[in-house]
Amino acid sequence: SLIKPGSKPPTTPVKLKKVSTFQEFESNTSDAWDLGDDDDELLAIAAENLNTEVVMETAHKVIQNHSKQQEKHKFQEEHLQEEKQVESAELTSIPCGDNRLVKSVSEGHTSSSSDNASENYSMQRSQSLPQTSTPSFVSGIADHNTSITPALSEREASRLDKFKQLLAGPNTDLEELRKLSWSGIPKPVRPIAWKLLSGYLPANVDRRESTLKRKRKEYFAFVEQYYDSRNDENHQDTYRQIHIDIPRMSPEVLRLQPKVTEIFERILFIWAIRHPASGYVQGINDLVTPFFVVFICEYIEEEEVENFDVSSLPEEVLQNIEADSYWCMSKLLDGIQDNYTFAQPGIQKKVKMLEELVSRIDEQVHRHLDQHEVKYLQFAFRWMNNLLMREVPLHCTIRLWDTYQSEPEGFSHFHLYVCAAFLVRWRKEILEEKDFQ
Amino acid sequence: LANFFELKSSDFLFKFLVIGNAGTGKSCLLHQFIEKKFKDDSNHTIGVEFGSKIINVGGKYVKLQIWDTAGQERFRSVTRSYYRGAAGALLVYDITSRETYNALTNWLTDARMLASQNIVIILCGNKKDLDADREVTFLEASRFAQENELMFLETSALTGENVEEAFVQCARKILNKIESGELDPERMGSGIQYGDAALRQLRSPRRAQAQSAQECGC
Repeated sequence: SLIKPGSKPPTTPVKLKKVSTFQEFESNTSDAWDLGDDDDELLAIAAENLNTEVVMETAHKVIQNHSKQQEKHKFQEEHLQEEKQVESAELTSIPCGDNRLVKSVSEGHTSSSSDNASENYSMQRSQSLPQTSTPSFVSGIADHNTSITPALSEREASRLDKFKQLLAGPNTDLEELRKLSWSGIPKPVRPIAWKLLSGYLPANVDRRESTLKRKRKEYFAFVEQYYDSRNDENHQDTYRQIHIDIPRMSPEVLRLQPKVTEIFERILFIWAIRHPASGYVQGINDLVTPFFVVFICEYIEEEEVENFDVSSLPEEVLQNIEADSYWCMSKLLDGIQDNYTFAQPGIQKKVKMLEELVSRIDEQVHRHLDQHEVKYLQFAFRWMNNLLMREVPLHCTIRLWDTYQSEPEGFSHFHLYVCAAFLVRWRKEILEEKDFQ
Repeated sequence: LANFFELKSSDFLFKFLVIGNAGTGKSCLLHQFIEKKFKDDSNHTIGVEFGSKIINVGGKYVKLQIWDTAGQERFRSVTRSYYRGAAGALLVYDITSRETYNALTNWLTDARMLASQNIVIILCGNKKDLDADREVTFLEASRFAQENELMFLETSALTGENVEEAFVQCARKILNKIESGELDPERMGSGIQYGDAALRQLRSPRRAQAQSAQECGC
């Protein structure tokens, strides 16, 4: 398991001295994500509302703490990288002399679409506890795009430029990329940024194309080797489960396209039999979707997005998307595999940690849940198992994953804080609810 | 009418489980029961989901608190923890899939072992509308139900056939058991609580019961 032995229950990085003041501050900044804020702006807002000394002290602590963690992570990562190669929970050893992981995207595409790029990064807030039923896979993304002025704001344009410079190489500074990505990745560069952040694509520009080629070839060799065995006795349970889940996945736009369901089935089946410790577990199918959608958006015009027929793409393009989605999903799952192994210890542990965290940051909510005999496992199990994908619209998940991928252990550790924030965000509704029967 | 019942206070609260293999239509049964329509975009259930409805059974208002569980084997260790204190259960298989029928014994063992001892279980052969693809006959399942002391219905979450009946029959049997004294609602983990109507009438359930006994005496 890749969970580090040292991982402890999360501790809040900053001690909040005046809760009421902080809450005021928080409410004044509730739109903080609307425009991919820079730190200095946030600080400016904060300074208006809070005692500057306190703010600066706090900010320094956070920054120090963060950079310490980054340092530590960087170190661990290097080691981990080697370990992963060795213990990679895969069945066969893959002959790859190259220690780094691969990958992708032709830059031609990314830059060409930059002109009509307009996206804001608002995390839409639902009025009530959200139920995800987004009718079209990118409806969110589309709405979102059309609702904004077509021209890039100066600030967005400059952010995009920063990304492009960074990605152009010759060696992309991953640390810098993480920093920049934390507050959202502009749509035109998101595919390549995700492939870099997940460790699929190497930082060195010259090696990207060859790495991509190799990994794609490798994936289709797996398909060739294993996919015919899906109806064999020892694999048929796995395949059957995938086969009954895919036709009922969301979003509908994807599920209704046979071409897409075939791709999802192959990705999941190959992953499952190469990771026998967990195998396919319901919910893992959801984790393919953001990658698939982000990678496909590289080839789609904005206006096509709503009713896009995936089968209209050239076969080769689809294969590339499939292989890239497989590898990036594998990377993600490497970090949370114990969520899906027997008895799902990763989830059990995280739900306990969430409980502990909430009991400290919002005792009232915690007590309320407790008094009404609502167990964290009852509602938070799915938050962990599906990374909140059933709770928020797809375009929000995609935005959230920008941040997750730029955080060390974003999908495991950082996700906890997001879950806690989720509870606190709806504290009023939760506290008003007296009937959980 | 449904709204009228929602507003109505209840005499009892029963905890119900819906269990069975993945893809047998557990969530669709629940949705059909509560919303009176078929849910055709039903994603698979992760962990547990909830539904509740107040029904009228022989003049008594019973609130069903229904725990709809995930069917996949990997979730079993988690879903098992939800069994405790269930008064009733719908055990669901798919009549077009023998595999889901073969798994019934395991589900049954779990339910009897982990829920309350006296749990009342109704076996539901779902997807009755797909008769052309049937792999399990009515007769066969009916025998299995008899041997294992289960009630039995074939249901269709698509058309709604027998869906309400399944929940109501199960609730009725529990009520009968309460009335005959076979089930004691006050025993811990019975999966039964007095509803707000009963509680409002007299603060303590014990006194409520004492009073109804007196009434009978008259």
